[in-house]
Amino acid sequence: MSVCGCAVGPGNGKGGGMGQFRATVASNRRIGDGFYEMALSWGAMAGAPHPGQFLTVRVSGDTVPLLRRPFAFAGFDEAARVASVIYQVRGRGTELLAGLAAGEEIDVIGPLGNVFPVGGDDKRAVAVAGGVGLGPILFLVSELRKQGVETEFVFGCRGEALIPDSALFRDAGARICTDDGSAGFRGNVVEYINTNIKLDGGTVVYGCGPEVMLKSLCGLTERSGAKGWMSLEAMMACGVGACMGCVVKTASGYQRVCKEGPVFDGGEIVWG
Amino acid sequence: MGMSDMKGMSVDLSVKIGSKLLPNPVGVASGTFGYGREYEELIDLKDIGAIFTKAVTVAPREGNTPPRIVETPSGILNSIGLANVGVDKFIADKLPFLKTVPCAVVVNVAGSTEDEYHQVIEKLESANDDGIWGYEVNVSCPNVRHGGLAFGTDPAQIERLTSTLRKMTKRPLVMKLTPNVTDITVIAKAAEAGGADAISLINTLVGMVINVKEKRSALGMITGGLSGPAVRPVGVALTYKASRAVSIPVIGMGGIMTADDALQYLLAGASAVQIGTANFVDPHIPRAVLEGIRAYCVEQGLGSVGDIRGLFD
Repeated sequence: MSVCGCAVGPGNGKGGGMGQFRATVASNRRIGDGFYEMALSWGAMAGAPHPGQFLTVRVSGDTVPLLRRPFAFAGFDEAARVASVIYQVRGRGTELLAGLAAGEEIDVIGPLGNVFPVGGDDKRAVAVAGGVGLGPILFLVSELRKQGVETEFVFGCRGEALIPDSALFRDAGARICTDDGSAGFRGNVVEYINTNIKLDGGTVVYGCGPEVMLKSLCGLTERSGAKGWMSLEAMMACGVGACMGCVVKTASGYQRVCKEGPVFDGGEIVWG
Repeated sequence: MGMSDMKGMSVDLSVKIGSKLLPNPVGVASGTFGYGREYEELIDLKDIGAIFTKAVTVAPREGNTPPRIVETPSGILNSIGLANVGVDKFIADKLPFLKTVPCAVVVNVAGSTEDEYHQVIEKLESANDDGIWGYEVNVSCPNVRHGGLAFGTDPAQIERLTSTLRKMTKRPLVMKLTPNVTDITVIAKAAEAGGADAISLINTLVGMVINVKEKRSALGMITGGLSGPAVRPVGVALTYKASRAVSIPVIGMGGIMTADDALQYLLAGASAVQIGTANFVDPHIPRAVLEGIRAYCVEQGLGSVGDIRGLFD
């Protein structure tokens, strides 16, 4: 019910049309303690997903759990038309999802939401993921590099057991931070950036992860003059902009995380 | 309109409300379908009997402090707070699209005072748009401080509001009732006495979820409204009671996920139904419900969907 996606700023014109279809699970495997990576066949009638966007799935035909679950895209293989998501088992819905085997089908709606603004005059990017916020940042990092933007990728988690055993992750070449120091930098991603990366007006910072992390990142961007785009998560019912349930407070009033978001200008977010 | 062939037998699916016909008995409930456009890419709106729009108020409303939604066993608890664009923007920005949809559009109207309800209907009537099929008046929202439930639990206020609005429009006027009352028949009769063409029920049940670890409510406004399959037996019972208390049509809703669920309402005495929370789960449910109702009529040898309630004593 919560989406940890990262995605777009103003002008949500980049995503293709949304569709609802039966997707076939290509693979679904554990990549870390409680974390899974799932690959799904992408419906022919649905538009190609872009970094920041998300999908929703109906995890069971029963009424418990009832609502669809949203997950941000972690990647999209255009040639094979296979989309990936990374998710954390948090409750009954994600437990059911983790039980799906390759070849099984699942009801999907997507792509949904806005996209990370990428490219233009931006020459340097810092992409920051905390825990389950990893998926959309991975997708973003591949897009940034494709567009020739010099990109540093920082990933933080509690400890070594949460570092994903995933090709998508390895290929992205993350600077790893762990709270307990069991791997990489000892400390959180914000501490790492503070001591190792110089932010300035020519840098764009992208973030997805726990609210406390995003809030600190926005503090860093504000002080340094860097631009910040944060992907938020919220409890969602419809996922398509109809129910007004997933709003976040911004400088221009409440905005729907599923429609105007999930990616917001970090400077516009009014933190609780 | 409303006639359809299946296995050589035609079933009249239309439903008369006031002086007008709904093409079929399966609508989508207010607050669960936005202003229609949100679902246009996903489903064929031709399959929908009527779109009951997100509530429209005189002034735009930002809505309540988040979190606004929490999932419960077989249900959801929400406290949206009638967030909407306001009647002027509704007319300027939402109606032009709604005018083009191939189904009936019933504008859901809400207010904090009687005067606010009047103003909304007055502006919509002045717009004189043939895209507006009728009105559903929300006197039952549990998530606003004023209006809403305050009207919905007082029969005298319901009758007065209904009769004033009745004089303002010839379009079908549906009063949407709350289940949070001691005796639904008293409220239903008050709406009928005021001149309503139909009543719809149930709006959500007041509920609350506490996050034990954080020792606070799961919702920003503390309490919310419960909907989904968990409330279905309440909706069916109140439909049964209300439909026996009045002679105007009853539009039943609350937790319909399947055709069988909808048939419970129709057997209990409803003339039509609305699909609400289920739209969030699978926007194709309204179509599946309609197909199931049609198949049931064929199987039971009924010529009209209106004959269903006669099967139940």
